[in-house]
Amino acid sequence: MRAYATALAAAAAMTVSGQALAWSLEEAAAPYEGTSIKAVFLDRPGYKAAAELVPEFEERTGIDVTWETLPYENSRERQVLNFVGGGDIDVALVDVVWIGEFAANGWLTPLSEFYDDPALADPDLALDDFFPVLLDSFGTWDGVVYGLPFDNYSGLMFYNQCMLEEAGFDGPPETWTELMTEYGPALTDADANQYAFALQSRRGETQSADSFMRVLWPFGGSLLDEDFRSNLTSEESLRGLQFRQDLMEYMPPGIVDYDHAEAVDALAQGQVAMITEWSAFYPTLADADQSTIVDCLGVTTEPEGPAGLKPALGGFSLAVNSGSSTDEQIASWLFIQWITGQEMARDFVEAGGVSGRMGVYEDEALLEAYSYIPPMVQSWEADTAVASFRPRFPEWPELSEIIALDGTRMMLGEVDVEEGAADLGDKVEEVLDDAGYYDGDKPLLK
Amino acid sequence: MSSRSNTPAFWFIAPSVIALLAIGLAPILFAVFNSLHEYNLARPAAGKPFVGLENYLTVLTDGTFWSSLGRTVTFLVTAVPIQIAIGLWAALLLHRPGLSFMRSVARVSLVIPLATTYAVVGLIGRLIFNREFGVANDMLGWVGIPVTDWLGDPTMAFVALIIMDVWQWTPFCTLILLAGLSMVPKETEEAARLETPSALRILRHVQMPFLLPGLTAILILRTADVLKEFDKIFTMTRGGPGAATELISVYIQRVGFRVFDLGLASAQAVVLLVFCIVLSRLYIRYVYKEAEL
Repeated sequence: MRAYATALAAAAAMTVSGQALAWSLEEAAAPYEGTSIKAVFLDRPGYKAAAELVPEFEERTGIDVTWETLPYENSRERQVLNFVGGGDIDVALVDVVWIGEFAANGWLTPLSEFYDDPALADPDLALDDFFPVLLDSFGTWDGVVYGLPFDNYSGLMFYNQCMLEEAGFDGPPETWTELMTEYGPALTDADANQYAFALQSRRGETQSADSFMRVLWPFGGSLLDEDFRSNLTSEESLRGLQFRQDLMEYMPPGIVDYDHAEAVDALAQGQVAMITEWSAFYPTLADADQSTIVDCLGVTTEPEGPAGLKPALGGFSLAVNSGSSTDEQIASWLFIQWITGQEMARDFVEAGGVSGRMGVYEDEALLEAYSYIPPMVQSWEADTAVASFRPRFPEWPELSEIIALDGTRMMLGEVDVEEGAADLGDKVEEVLDDAGYYDGDKPLLK
Repeated sequence: MSSRSNTPAFWFIAPSVIALLAIGLAPILFAVFNSLHEYNLARPAAGKPFVGLENYLTVLTDGTFWSSLGRTVTFLVTAVPIQIAIGLWAALLLHRPGLSFMRSVARVSLVIPLATTYAVVGLIGRLIFNREFGVANDMLGWVGIPVTDWLGDPTMAFVALIIMDVWQWTPFCTLILLAGLSMVPKETEEAARLETPSALRILRHVQMPFLLPGLTAILILRTADVLKEFDKIFTMTRGGPGAATELISVYIQRVGFRVFDLGLASAQAVVLLVFCIVLSRLYIRYVYKEAEL
């Protein structure tokens, strides 16, 4: 038995040393030992997971990794000022809707500069192991890869199974219509401060992405048509927006002030029975210190609309700031390659992150341990995912501001849905016109 | 001029003047320069072409700018009189003879809201006015007032913001007015008390002249402060719901640091600066002048 074990260990050692001769992180990083790089992190579970794993990278490479934790709402501003003013951020955090702006302005280095260099590219990099929708949406602009998917979200439905059972339901609603017509009335009791559903709709990206866009796609609508003209006044888009308006009857009052934290808390404290939130909030809802419904927590895909399952898509890639020095850029690449790598995927998930690697989700044990994974993977499948859930062109931040304001006003009833959609469409077209999309000056990339 | 530049006074004052020019005037001149150019930080390829007064024209015809300014003026004329009224009442209480220990304690505790960072005041407000768990609804519940949707309702969100501003800035008014009251000669005040039992008459004819310079300072400082009120609003309501709490500084920040249209944002800021200077001149002319009479 001992001889067998020794032989096995020797074989393993030979395999490892064989790989080391070919390429190793330590060897690739050796010339950059002592280099210090800085990343941008958010106060979300994926970044806490990364922070837990960073010491291992530092130990193996001698590269010092620091990070600045920012609120989401300030992270783009901080990075744009950094790019323009020549700041100290080396590892850029790129939201799916910033990739067009960051890449088109030349603020990011194309990653092929690194992964085409055998000295820097891990043979196991396997870009094709990323879910295509994630790599294409979060990391790619105009056919060039700038970032690797790092903090990956799909919209999911989280629900309180106990509340549903008490109201006589076996499981969550399969369609949005079912949610409103059957679950809404049965699970709402305003006198007891209990509501069926909460849709985070606070002014900001939460309103534009999580609330406004979320009701367009499942009903067959969209923000723009193929020619980049507003599609908000189409029958399908209006149906989605009107649906949101009607659904507010089963949401807590003041829903227009609900951000992610409030929506997650409302479910975690048993005030609402269902929410549609990013997969990244699963660790919060499953943590007994923060949630009172751990034993009742259920997770599934978002409800289907008349156009089928069209879940929200969001997330961030990590990219290299083209303004950093060569050493810092390479050190940043090595870090990005490592933290998003296949080798780290399992550790990342177990630490609370959401990997964008397909391979890691083939692990049955992981699928059983984390109930959010199967619906999330289903949402990222090629035939389900909505790659252009939000346009990724440089004008999105400006459009997002407009949608955030007008979308909230629409929910408050300050403006009629139809009239509001038409007005919003005009404003959207005005921005895109100024940007040159209608003159043929700019390719219709989104 | 040359003889003046040799005086010690000139050299004592020169560093302050140079510092003020560098940190005060230079950014304003830079903002004026930017306001005359098309300058979007997020579109570096577009360059920075000179556009003359185009940005100012956009400001003057921008309905959102004027509605935000209108909201700011509403905030100003609501919050500041409340702060002055409560501040004056507290200052008069603290000015009463005796209670020296209590007065010292009160003076120290009055500094606490002032010393609290704006962003933190906003976060505290967000907790206080939380519909489910906030102390505001809890306390109102003791007297049977039903749960109020403070931050989700446009009017109530505006009210909540005013309440937090009153909490933060009333102590400032108290301290300034208390300093004014301490300038009233004791003999005059005592003589007035012998003449009339009416505290209102004493306030009007004896104490008020000493309060007016402080009152002018309060008006000028609070006006400038309300016009650039940002952190508190951003953390508490982010300008919402809808545009209910989008004061002018929140709107300018949105244009400047969300859209990154620094040309337009600079023009907005310059218009706001002019507005602020005009108001300050009016305060000095009508309130301070009365003090000189």
